[in-house]
Amino acid sequence: MSDSPAQISEAVERPEPKPASRGGFSGLLQRSEVARGYTLISPTLLFLTLGIVIPFIILVTMSLWTAQGFGFDMTPTTANYEAAWNQPLYGALLGRSLWISGWATVATVVLSYPMAYYVAFHVHRNKMLWIVLMTLPFWTSYLLRVFAWKVVLGYEGVINSALMSAGLIRAPLEFLLYSPNAVVITLAHAWAAFAILPLYVSLEKIDRSLLEAATDLGDGPVARFFRVTFPLSLPGVIAASLLIFIPTTGDYITPALLGGPDGLMIGNLIQLQFGPVNNWPMGATLAIILMLCIAAIAGIFMVTTKIVKDRIL
Amino acid sequence: MDVLDQLGAVREGKMSRRAFTRSLMAAGVGMATVPLGAKALRAAEGDQATYFTWGGYDIPEFFAEYREKHGGENPDFAIFGASEEALTKIRGGFVVDVSHPCNQSVPRWAASGLFQPVDRSRLTHGADIIPELIDLQGNDAEGGGNWMIPFDWGQSSITYRTDLFELEGEESWDMLWDKRYEGRLGSLGAGADAWWVGAIKAGVPFDQLDTDEAFEKIGAVMREQRPLIRMYTDDTTTLEQALASGELVAALTWNSSAVELQNEGVPVKFAQPKEGALTWVCGLMIHKDAPNLEAAYDVIDSLLSVETGKFLVGDYGYGHSNAKTYDEFDEETLTGLGLSKDPTEILSAGHFQIPQTQEWESKMNATFEQIKAGF
Repeated sequence: MSDSPAQISEAVERPEPKPASRGGFSGLLQRSEVARGYTLISPTLLFLTLGIVIPFIILVTMSLWTAQGFGFDMTPTTANYEAAWNQPLYGALLGRSLWISGWATVATVVLSYPMAYYVAFHVHRNKMLWIVLMTLPFWTSYLLRVFAWKVVLGYEGVINSALMSAGLIRAPLEFLLYSPNAVVITLAHAWAAFAILPLYVSLEKIDRSLLEAATDLGDGPVARFFRVTFPLSLPGVIAASLLIFIPTTGDYITPALLGGPDGLMIGNLIQLQFGPVNNWPMGATLAIILMLCIAAIAGIFMVTTKIVKDRIL
Repeated sequence: MDVLDQLGAVREGKMSRRAFTRSLMAAGVGMATVPLGAKALRAAEGDQATYFTWGGYDIPEFFAEYREKHGGENPDFAIFGASEEALTKIRGGFVVDVSHPCNQSVPRWAASGLFQPVDRSRLTHGADIIPELIDLQGNDAEGGGNWMIPFDWGQSSITYRTDLFELEGEESWDMLWDKRYEGRLGSLGAGADAWWVGAIKAGVPFDQLDTDEAFEKIGAVMREQRPLIRMYTDDTTTLEQALASGELVAALTWNSSAVELQNEGVPVKFAQPKEGALTWVCGLMIHKDAPNLEAAYDVIDSLLSVETGKFLVGDYGYGHSNAKTYDEFDEETLTGLGLSKDPTEILSAGHFQIPQTQEWESKMNATFEQIKAGF
């Protein structure tokens, strides 16, 4: 992996056979390497500009406005950011969102790791079939899966009915649904596919001879796992954690359906600002703050794991 | 090359990557073009009006008359959970033909400049509308016509389980503040209902809602209620299911929840609180750029028809705006549903919603959302 950039630059520097006399515009493009590079990525670049950069600029601009009845007062001001800092509501919901999705990330990665491990090391035939089977539940709509959990966790749901008919409880457990727990459980299931796949790929890549060497040098299975397998699978763990943490922090539908009054997250608050509360600039501000928080946490996470990795390898 | 053969080839590792990609692409193109065909077919049968309405109003039972005129097709439906959400979407550029707000939002909706007055004389059933329902504050457009044609009217009150809720004395709004049932009470999530109920509970008259004192008083009442509430939702089905299972013993709902649960045999009652219920009239407004104006009028006419009214009163328990609908019911049935041939009687017995400013609406929603989130 580490030598591939060198290979690419080498390949690029190699003198190309002169293109058969092509004049005009394409000739011009062929001449400059930079221009050729930009031409190659231009569809993606255009799409990124239209789909991400422009909306982002609008979002930043809008966050500096203030809402006024149906319209906006367009004088730039940082009042929204001050309000977000001063009012405890925003900080609390942001904190809760990070907390919930942090737990959801931990739960998902911990639960998915053994599955990925099993397929990578103990399944020898039809591996693809196993992977497909594990991701099968994710072929249904996200909304349906959330609803399914509502049925499982509900007042007369699967868990409560089972516990009651077994005589273990007398009244249904009410903390299962409409609580932050329900959101964590559902997120951990709903995003499992996004953890299994990167974990599987990184485990599958591990050179088996390293494991043999560890055994030869006297490591038992547990020591071997913690000294060889786990450190080598860290890239997968990091990828899976980021893939789950980033989108779940801003999740909207799961807390809306299962969170109850105490399980609301920042995504719901942002939706409310663009909906009934009718304060789009505040919504834009919250969206930007959320983005900055996620970026900061993801940055810290990557730096920490890099330090840890350098230590143990 | 058939599908089974391909699967076999994959299993034996004989299929090249290129062949596999090609078949995937074929499947993808096939899937992507299927909906195109269906859409082209539908468009050929004539464009239908889009009706933007509350969940539960998107049913074929309301559109028998419309279907007669439009080759058996229903209008297209778009659903909202709360009327403020609907206005935000329309302001964001969502063009519909007909939408379904309530009387207290009419002046604000009209002020957005996104609606056109409705010409009542163009409606077949226009003359049958109960006059008191169309003669609402802010409903007359300046150049003639009405902003909103009334369709349904009713109450927001408490639906409670007669077997689970132990009533102390008279029915009252205190039932939704009853600490004995902490965590077993539910509420509609929109401020357009809940906040007004808070005003009744706090004893603030509706013409004095827009004062700091009113916000303080009502806010205090809502904060007191919040820890008792298991769920705030705009989805009436969720409330109905929770009431049916006994997860909730009482909830703030509209008439239809109680009537539907009673029809299912669940022992519930729609309370007549001694302080008075919250009463409202909802109706239909036409978008200023309605793409199918003719069909839009047909939607309104179909909703005003007696046939629709019979379903609305009998199955949903709401009042209808067509005076002739009530000839289909005897006095006893109507009383049982908490309705009357004379809607003014019912509407004035409760607390009738009155229009507020946009500033008030935004401030109220912001405050209420904050309280719901626990602050």
